[in-house]
Amino acid sequence: MTLLTAFARAEAAAAGRAQRIRTVRHVHLSRRPLVVIPLQLAGEACAPLAVMLGDDPDKPRTLTVYEPRDRARRFEFAADLAEVILGHLDGYLPPDDPDVHAGTPTQGAPAQGAPAQGAPTQGAPTPGAPIQGAPALEPLPDAPQLLVPNPNAAAFLRLLGRSTRLRRTDGEHAVRPTVPLLGRWLTHYGERAEVPGSALLLAMTTALAEHWATGQSDLEDANLAALLGWVDPPDGLTGQQAARLAEDPVRCPPAGPVTDPTFDNEVLEGRMAAIRDATEAGDGPALARAQAAMDAALHSQLAPTWDLMWRAHALLAELPEAAHAQRRWKDDRRSFTAQAAWLREGGAPQPRRDSAVAAAKRLARLEREQQRLAVERAHDDSLVMAEYRLTGEAFAGTVVDADLTRLDTDGKKPKLRPWLIVQTTDAVIVEPDAVLANPAFPGQAAKVIEVADASREPGRTLVTLELSGGMGRALTAPPGSTPARGDAVTYTTLRDDFQPAPQFPSREETPWTHGGPPPEYVPTDDDAQEAWS
Amino acid sequence: MISIVAETIEVLERRIDELRVAVRQAVLAGDRALAARQRSALTSAERAWEDALEEAAAQTEADPLARAGPVARGSVAQGKAAQSRAAEPPARSGSLLPLREQVYEALSLLQVPAAPKLIATVHEAFFGATFPTTRVTSLKRDEERSFRTAPFARPYYICAALSADYLAPSRGLLAVSTWPLELRVIGSLSPRVDFLTAAIRVAEAIERIPEPPAAARRLLQRFAASVSGAISAGGGADPAAVREAARAELTVHREADAKARRVAAERARGLQHAEQLFGTAMFRDRAGDGAADGADIAGRGAGE
Amino acid sequence: MTARQPGAGLQTGLDRLRGRALPKNHDARTISALAANPGCARRALMDAAGVDKQRVAAHVGFAAQFGQSRFAIVRGNAFEAQVKENGAAQLLILLRDLLDLDVSEVGYADFNDVGGNSSAELRHLHTRHVLTAPDQPGRTLLDHPLLRLRVGGRHAYLEPDLIALRLDGTFHVIEVKSFAVIDGQADPGKVAAAAIQSAVYVRALRDLVTEAGGDPAAVSHKTILVAPRDFSSQPTAASLDVRRQLGVLDRQLSRIASIETLLARYPGTLTFDLDPDAQGRPRRPAAELAAAIGQVAASYAPECLATCELCFLCRDEAGGTTGALGKPVREDLGGIEYIAQARSLARGQVPAPEQAEIAAQLLRAAQLRAQVLGEAV
Repeated sequence: MTLLTAFARAEAAAAGRAQRIRTVRHVHLSRRPLVVIPLQLAGEACAPLAVMLGDDPDKPRTLTVYEPRDRARRFEFAADLAEVILGHLDGYLPPDDPDVHAGTPTQGAPAQGAPAQGAPTQGAPTPGAPIQGAPALEPLPDAPQLLVPNPNAAAFLRLLGRSTRLRRTDGEHAVRPTVPLLGRWLTHYGERAEVPGSALLLAMTTALAEHWATGQSDLEDANLAALLGWVDPPDGLTGQQAARLAEDPVRCPPAGPVTDPTFDNEVLEGRMAAIRDATEAGDGPALARAQAAMDAALHSQLAPTWDLMWRAHALLAELPEAAHAQRRWKDDRRSFTAQAAWLREGGAPQPRRDSAVAAAKRLARLEREQQRLAVERAHDDSLVMAEYRLTGEAFAGTVVDADLTRLDTDGKKPKLRPWLIVQTTDAVIVEPDAVLANPAFPGQAAKVIEVADASREPGRTLVTLELSGGMGRALTAPPGSTPARGDAVTYTTLRDDFQPAPQFPSREETPWTHGGPPPEYVPTDDDAQEAWS
Repeated sequence: MISIVAETIEVLERRIDELRVAVRQAVLAGDRALAARQRSALTSAERAWEDALEEAAAQTEADPLARAGPVARGSVAQGKAAQSRAAEPPARSGSLLPLREQVYEALSLLQVPAAPKLIATVHEAFFGATFPTTRVTSLKRDEERSFRTAPFARPYYICAALSADYLAPSRGLLAVSTWPLELRVIGSLSPRVDFLTAAIRVAEAIERIPEPPAAARRLLQRFAASVSGAISAGGGADPAAVREAARAELTVHREADAKARRVAAERARGLQHAEQLFGTAMFRDRAGDGAADGADIAGRGAGE
Repeated sequence: MTARQPGAGLQTGLDRLRGRALPKNHDARTISALAANPGCARRALMDAAGVDKQRVAAHVGFAAQFGQSRFAIVRGNAFEAQVKENGAAQLLILLRDLLDLDVSEVGYADFNDVGGNSSAELRHLHTRHVLTAPDQPGRTLLDHPLLRLRVGGRHAYLEPDLIALRLDGTFHVIEVKSFAVIDGQADPGKVAAAAIQSAVYVRALRDLVTEAGGDPAAVSHKTILVAPRDFSSQPTAASLDVRRQLGVLDRQLSRIASIETLLARYPGTLTFDLDPDAQGRPRRPAAELAAAIGQVAASYAPECLATCELCFLCRDEAGGTTGALGKPVREDLGGIEYIAQARSLARGQVPAPEQAEIAAQLLRAAQLRAQVLGEAV
């Protein structure tokens, strides 16, 4: 939350509709995403009740669990769900032809469970991460994007992944092989969703709230219908009126995964009891009727959210895409490709907990991504940059003077170091020696030489900058490689340092302070059984 | 005639949908009285709907060309999920014995007072038939009525276990009337002692069967999980190991528990027969006025 | 820390405020919620008087339902019953590990009723007697003891799921919840709520021990949380340190204890009575009730939407304030109270001296937005 976004909320409240806080869309949006709306049964950790999903707004598919408390049914449902989701994923994978697929990893990928023998010690690959020592995988041209209503739905899918990926396909509690496969994909998507800037699994409330400020609190924004009521109010209603209507769970069922308690108590319980009674009585026709009734009840809770999801998709799609959104999407594609390759090689499923080294690596990666995202967003979007201009970490102005041929003759060899003088009305808090960046000239650094008040014009500041980089190796800058006199420019302290990732020890070398080398992860019967009563 | 019935069904379905919404709205508005009224209207409408369906089904048998039965409106459920969940055979209860005898069978195996859930599980594991626990809880009431009508007319009664402090019926426990009083009173250590004893009995029962059913093995597993040292290295439950571990712990509690039960049984012998079997109603609040004196409590509890 | 005995005058005053209805009882959940927003006079008074806030809100047209799904209730009860069955056999094994229970510590005592009578007063007396009697033969686990806590002038009966009593006289509060602990981790919000609730029980138990002349430190600040492990029904137990929650609770309770002073601010004629008819339907004119409510100031924040039945009413009143948009928004706007005010300052209205800085920021913010959005469109 910043002053600018807080102000935008105030404006939205007065205007009766949401206000834009972004000029571009910072997340990649697939033209044909897989929309997934899960519902769960109250009271249990992960009891799926129904799911509505599909990649075509006119063709939703609904899967219902008639007895959600029955664990066996849960895994039958998971198998049905797997068919749909894996079917969608398959559409993005090339046919299993080793000649067609580029960059299959060769060495450095140990088989499941066996320690690398003879090969130089390297960390066991984390599923989905680039494999060290192997030629980098060429990311697939596109990857499936999953859209869910809100972060709780994403967490539910992740939990579903956790509850299914360690199941065995043989033995007493066998499940169909597609179930653990689905589990691993859901876990992969769920974990990827934690990476700042990732768009593989997108929660629509989060995506919308990132681009619009409503006239209500962020707690209320968690309700997709209310949020859309502000962003796109129906004719004749203010945002607030639309949001109030959206809060009535009878008229507007919650987007889930939690269902409305009055629905549970007054409708669902009765339908489930009817199914139970008909089953016990062995009454076929009554059972079919009871099942159809439950389908209808759950459909009534899902269909409105389905429409909201596609409306949200359309609204976001209207925004032009940010320049760096593709860079981040490429990382998403890479992650998808790597996971697909891992699965094809027969790699182990994600363990329950990260080992110490894996956890540290992951944390470092997340921090790094957060930093990159902040820089890229500001560079792509002048409204985001405006927030930094307000705090003085950025300024926008005009180049009033430029010495583009200036040389620095201090060292052994002369270096090209052009000087610019930028005049701005923004607040400037940077000090001499600070190094700034200009989004229009990536790779070019600007060191602050001097900051002075413009003598004849109050409220204007003159900043002298020394440029380096991005101009080639010659002693004259190619035209267009630097700003010129009269140009409008923006400079900011927000730079990507391009620091290399910190070095971590390999798994085998985990220091004793962190528990020493972890044992190889082998899925056990314990995981597979996981007490059924 | 058929189309009229079909129309009635549609009208009823609409009414049912409206009433459902009305009930939920009343609940959300906090108007319990209105919600209750709408709910009973809903129940009537649903019953009328069932009747109309049956009538339509009967007519279709007479006229195979007519379309019978309503189609759930608004359902677009696709995929195998809707069709493939065919009716499955219900769980069979199987036993020909009356409930009281099944409970007696299970309790006789356990030889300690037990809760309905455990009784049902033991019976399913060793005697092949299960029963819903709700039937077991009402059994105790029936047995008391039967006893009071004609005391000792039956060879045994399914009765209560008595709490040692006030000799009131111990919540949720059943026992057999022919057991000695010491076995039917519950001191503070008794729940644990009886659990360990039950574990031993179940282990012994399994050892007597050449091929114990899966339900019995699962039951032993659940006991073993709550006895220190009873689970074997591989994670399984071996009857001999469970027996040994349970016996080892029992030696710690046995004497103190036996003493408390002896003292309580002595006091219980002073009670009327019906009270010895089904517990006292000393503090039971008749008019709901909660009339009992604190001094009473401080005085009695000392018997422990 | 024990509050003074509530005076008869206070009790009458609170009864008058409530009207003819029976008082709604506090429980640990309502006490924790109350403690979370101690600055709200409206809520403090209504809860002290035991007003049924839901019915009041509904009658003035702002019904807010805080219902629970029966599936959740049934599951919660079933899990608790399972943990407690057979003398809490499953729990004992967990506690042998977690608390290092001695093998001999297995005693079980049931406080759900006293010889068949389940009146609250009786159960509380029995609890007090057992917990404070000098020697307690073989009782380790106490099932549903009934404690009491004075909150703002009234007693609230509180019922922790279990209390463990060690051989050395230490007490541990045990709460059984049905949300899962998966791979050692649980929903942080739910764990936090359980911790606060446990702290309420610790406070009540410490008061009881103190009243009986014992050492309140005998009640450990380490409470136990029992919950299903992973996706099964098997329980797992974890230790919660609630010292911080106890500190917060004590501070909030002492603020609430000054309810007499608060009540004295309002005329004796103020009442939230619904005046129900024979069928229980309220007869009090809604506008009159609304006016009465309006006399007592509220302190609305969006967080109220999750905890208080009056939330929609107070939210409606708070329309136009920056607080309604959330505390962080209000803070970012320099603490300015009204949306209209912030917007005027952003449009060049001359600020009061103490608002000079935020006014300059707002002006700039508006200019930047206009500039950028003007450019972009």
